[in-house]
Amino acid sequence: MSYTAHVTDIAYRYDGSFPGFLCCIFESYAKKELPAAVLPPEEGQLSLFGSRDIPTDMARASRVAVGLARLGGEVRKWVYSGFLSCQSGKELILLRLARRCFEQGPRVLSMLGDEDVAAAFRLMRRVRSEAATYFELIRFEQRGSMLGTVIHPENQVLPLLREHFCSRLPDEDFLIFDATHGTVLLRQRGSVQYLAMTHYEKGPSQEEQDWQALWKRFFKALTIEERRNEKLQMSHVPKRYWQDLCEMQPDEVEEQQKILENPCQIPSNMV
Amino acid sequence: MELGDKLEILADSAKYDVACTSSGVDRPGRHGQLGSCRLPGICHAFTADGRCVSLLKVLYSNVCVYDCSYCVNRRSNDRPRATFTPRELAELTIGFYRRNYIEGLFLSSAVVGSPDATMERMIETLRLLREEYRFNGYIHAKTIPGADPQLVERLGLLADRLSVNIELPSEASLTKLAPDKKRTAILRPMGQIAARSTQSKGEMVRYKKAQAFAPAGQSTQMIIGASPETDYHIMNLTEGLYKKYSLKRVFYSAYLPVVQDERLPALTQRPPLLREHRLYQADWLLRYYHFSAAELLSREEPNFDPYLDPKCNWAVRNPQFFPVEVNTAEEAALLRVPGIGPKSARRIVQARRMQKLGMAELKRIGVVLKRAQYFITCNGYAAARGTRQEIAGALLDPHAFGVGVQQLSLDDFVPQALPDAAPQVHQLAEQGVPVPEAARLVREEALTCLTRRM
Ligand code: SF4
Repeated sequence: MSYTAHVTDIAYRYDGSFPGFLCCIFESYAKKELPAAVLPPEEGQLSLFGSRDIPTDMARASRVAVGLARLGGEVRKWVYSGFLSCQSGKELILLRLARRCFEQGPRVLSMLGDEDVAAAFRLMRRVRSEAATYFELIRFEQRGSMLGTVIHPENQVLPLLREHFCSRLPDEDFLIFDATHGTVLLRQRGSVQYLAMTHYEKGPSQEEQDWQALWKRFFKALTIEERRNEKLQMSHVPKRYWQDLCEMQPDEVEEQQKILENPCQIPSNMV
Repeated sequence: MELGDKLEILADSAKYDVACTSSGVDRPGRHGQLGSCRLPGICHAFTADGRCVSLLKVLYSNVCVYDCSYCVNRRSNDRPRATFTPRELAELTIGFYRRNYIEGLFLSSAVVGSPDATMERMIETLRLLREEYRFNGYIHAKTIPGADPQLVERLGLLADRLSVNIELPSEASLTKLAPDKKRTAILRPMGQIAARSTQSKGEMVRYKKAQAFAPAGQSTQMIIGASPETDYHIMNLTEGLYKKYSLKRVFYSAYLPVVQDERLPALTQRPPLLREHRLYQADWLLRYYHFSAAELLSREEPNFDPYLDPKCNWAVRNPQFFPVEVNTAEEAALLRVPGIGPKSARRIVQARRMQKLGMAELKRIGVVLKRAQYFITCNGYAAARGTRQEIAGALLDPHAFGVGVQQLSLDDFVPQALPDAAPQVHQLAEQGVPVPEAARLVREEALTCLTRRM
């Protein structure tokens, strides 16, 4: 596909924020050019290209946002969820996609055989499917009057978890701590905030421990030994999620037993 | 008895029930209530056998007055027994649900005293959950064969999905293996539920206040491998059930010998997991691929090929249907191509409105070409050429030759045939052939055989 813009070898450097990224789209139109890369601050130094700093200007950002909104929900969904990705290079993929949509309309999104569209689709799908995995795998614990949990996602999935859990637990206060990115989704008295947070102390009460023990007993009782197939299990729940799943943690008692039987072996929760 | 002990016993008793899905109803949360439902359902955990846990799947009680020969809970079996109270079960459900362990409750029960008495207890549990605990999540309830139709009605107003287990694929087998259950006692509530669901759907459109009756529809389950029916018989039965009772799902459960009984396969028989897998594949072909049972099997070929999935098998038997041109073929024809599923077919149809599709485009769309390439053309050109043997190799189902590793201790791993590998692989392994070698031998033979067929 041809662009009404020159492909340049300039890299844009922006502040890493979403409005900042929207300003990169603005810049690309203003200069009638396609950058060779769009770099957040962490990657700015590594660039091989000549670079230009794109300042974040809220007025420009909102002009682009309004334009995107006019293209409809699907385009918004792609750009917005894609931006939550932590894959490097996401900005250029999304910028190219946004330009294609502005120029050819939202129906571009169905051209999955096209390189730009396919790349953006993969980006968006990866983020959204990670978020959907957390609909499944979040395990809350009761902390005082609130529910809390820690997750270690690859991408910044918190905004995609908000609607699901707020709808599901309409009258509960809860927090979801994203330990990878140091942010927390905090929902209290019906309103939601995203805050920076560095640390979450798991401190379940006795009652909470009893609930977790009940869940683990239930979970274990469901396994049919004759069908045991850990490979299949692992294909459904990759190992990287296990650290935050209480049912995948070895039992204290069982571990103690194993150590007594075989004192030289390293307990499985340490390998 | 402690609650944890009860839970363990009653989950263990319910684990052979396979229908653990939470799909079929979309219901957002509401203030004053707890929970929501999502149309495709959500799995929350996967047990060590790789099966999904979506619902708190338990029996209300496993104290049974019946004596179905294939069932661990039958009266004459010596095992620990337990019964919940409605409140215990409601509190467990809420406690698990708030922690996001589950999508809701899957309640079934042995026959405690009588079918009616059992249903009353189940209804009381669901009533507590819905009315007192304001639970808005998913509930699947299993009706007890022989219960009063009025009780089925009450259960349906509280649950999202109902099911009646057909148990065995034929009346003869039912009479032989489950003498307390009558075929009519199973089919009558199925008919009642089907009629009532349709009626309530109609009412819901017309009146705001109409009550939903089992909005996620009904499902059923049958045990396979405990009785002699062929796959052909089972697929025809399945097709009939979908049509006649508008079932949402039919589930198959590979029979796991739990008792020595001359009416049943020996205790040493391995559960026919690969066969179960084939039946599920064929079931998908009926529901999402517009296949009919008669296209998949016949009196002459009454059972599925262990080494080929049913769709590939159909393709091998119908070479005249191919190649399919991806740029023009109807979606239904695309769906018949090995390796193209409903998602890919839909994307192809969408994408080709905007651009011509070649191999590069198909790859970007995400179509898996390993098998498909031999059955399609792009703009009139064959997507790939392969020898008969290459094509056969791509078609064979790797599942059938699956080898995993079993960890005996920290540094001792032994290869082991996966439980759903072909029976021949297990047999060779039992005769002492090293597992990877056994899998290789069986695959080679299957490959030769298939190449010759093509
Ligand atoms: S009715 Fe039959 S299948 Fe059901 S629990 Fe009792 S013995 Fe088992």
